[in-house]
Amino acid sequence: MDTMGIGEVGKGNKLIFDGAPWLVLEVNFVKPGKGNAFYKLRVINLLTGNTLEKTLRGGEKVELADVEDREMQYMYHDGTSFAFMDQTTFEQVSVSAKSIGDDKDFLLENMMLMVTLWNQEPIAIRLPNTVQVEVEYTEPAVKGDTQSRVLKPAKIKGTGGNVQVPIFVAIGDKITVNTQTREYSGRVK
Amino acid sequence: MSPEVRKSGSPEVDWRPTAPVGVLRRRAALVERTRAFFRERGVLEVDTPVLQGGANLDHGVTPMHVEIAGGTRFLPTSPEHPLKRLVAAGVGDVWTLAPAFRAGERGQRHAPEFRMLEWYRVGWDDRRLATEVITLLSTLTDLSPEHDILAWRDAFRTHANIDPLTADDAALFARLGADAAVANNDRRIALDLLLTRDVEPRLGRGRWTVLTDYPADQCAQARIRQAGDGTPVAARFEIYRDGIELANGYHELLDGSALRGRLEQELAARDSGERLDERFLAAMANGLPDCAGVAVGFDRVVMLALGLPDVGATQAFTWGDA
Repeated sequence: MDTMGIGEVGKGNKLIFDGAPWLVLEVNFVKPGKGNAFYKLRVINLLTGNTLEKTLRGGEKVELADVEDREMQYMYHDGTSFAFMDQTTFEQVSVSAKSIGDDKDFLLENMMLMVTLWNQEPIAIRLPNTVQVEVEYTEPAVKGDTQSRVLKPAKIKGTGGNVQVPIFVAIGDKITVNTQTREYSGRVK
Repeated sequence: MSPEVRKSGSPEVDWRPTAPVGVLRRRAALVERTRAFFRERGVLEVDTPVLQGGANLDHGVTPMHVEIAGGTRFLPTSPEHPLKRLVAAGVGDVWTLAPAFRAGERGQRHAPEFRMLEWYRVGWDDRRLATEVITLLSTLTDLSPEHDILAWRDAFRTHANIDPLTADDAALFARLGADAAVANNDRRIALDLLLTRDVEPRLGRGRWTVLTDYPADQCAQARIRQAGDGTPVAARFEIYRDGIELANGYHELLDGSALRGRLEQELAARDSGERLDERFLAAMANGLPDCAGVAVGFDRVVMLALGLPDVGATQAFTWGDA
C-alpha cells in the first residue's frame, strides 16, 4: 500500500477513501494562525462520478490508488461487456456495460481511447472529445425548412445510438459529434 | 501567475517573476506608507536575523531548520524573539518588515516564505494596540476603520451555535457533522476545525473584526487576565477582514519563568529537533517592560489592498517560482 503525506497531495492525484478510488480536483489549505492545519479536498469518485468535499488533518497520510490510464483499441461488445486491447502488449480487458453507460453510443470498432485501470482492473473509459460517425438513418429534410435551426434525431451506424442533428443532414453523411455534450459539431466533407 | 509576465513560448525553466510589475509597484507603495506610518509615530525600524540560534515554538507552527557548520539554525516563524530582546534592552518601540518561514504552510492564504510586519509598543495593552493596527490597515487598504470587538467564546456561540467552554465532548464532535472523524477525539482540533469552517468565514464582513479574549490554553506569549464572565482568558487578539486573519497580537506576558514553562511544554510535545531560544529566554528573565506586540501577515494585507486572489500573487517570486 503506497501512502503520501497530505501536504504533498495536489490536483490530479488519485487516492483511496472508504475503499474507492478518487481523483483530486482541488486542494485547499486552511489553518488558524497558531492551530491545527486542515486540507479541504474536492474529489471525484472514479467508479461513480460523484464529487465530495473531504477534510483531512495536517500530517495525515493518505493511500494512493493504483490507477492508470492506458490507450487501448475497442474490439467488440458481447452483450454485457465491452472488450478493449492494448496495441503494444496485446493484453485484452473487458469493461462492464454499466461502467460504460451512454458512451456506448460512440464506441466504434477499432476506435482508440483511454481505459482507466484500478489495481489492473478496468473501471472506466474516456472517449476522445470528438468522434466521427456515419448517419445510418434520419428523416429526410422537408423542403423549405433548410434554414431552420430545428434539430432532428439521427441514428449512428454501428452503435445504434441517437444524436440530434440539423435538418440538412442526410442518411450516409459523416458527421462529428462532441462526446461530452453529445452535440453535433459539423459535417465531414 | 500573470499573463502580463508569463508570455507564451516561455523556456522550459520559467525564470520570470510571479507578480507583474504593476503589483510590485503597488506593493512597494504600501511598504512606503507603512514606513511613513511608523516614522510619524516615532517607532524605530530595525532588521532582525534570519538564521536564529533557537526556534520559535508556537503551537501548530513548524520552523524550518538550516544545517550549517557549527550546528542547526532556525528560520524565524516571526521576528518576535529578536524584537522582544530589543524591547528588553530598552530600545523602546520597534518595528520590522521581516522574512518569515513556516514549514508546510502552502495555500491560497499561506506561503512557506512571506513577510511579517511586526511591532511593539512599550506601556500599551492589547486593546490600544488593536486600535493602532486597524488605523494602519485602514490606511493601507483605503477601508473605513469601523470595527467590531468579538470575544472568542461569543464568536463560537454566534457563528458555530455552540459554547466552546461548556459543551461536552459529544455535543462538540456532533457539531462537526461529517467532519467529526477529522477531530480524532481531540477538542482542540475540533475547535480549530469549527473556527476555520464555521466562524472565520463570517468574520470581518463589511468592517474589521477584532477577535479577542482567547482561551487561556491558547495564550501563546500573551498574559492571562479575567474576562467579564470570570473565566481566565489570554490577552490576545486577531484581526479579520473578509474572513481572512491578518494580525495576531498580545498584551505580552512578562513573567520569564512562566514563559519558559510554556515553551518547554510546547517543545516536549514535539519530536522535531528544535531547541529553545536561550538568548531570548535570558532577555525575558532579565525583564521585558510592560508592552503589547503584534504580527501582521504583510502579503495578506497586500492581497486585500490590491484585490488579489492569493498571497502568492503578491510576491515577486512565490514559493513555486523561488
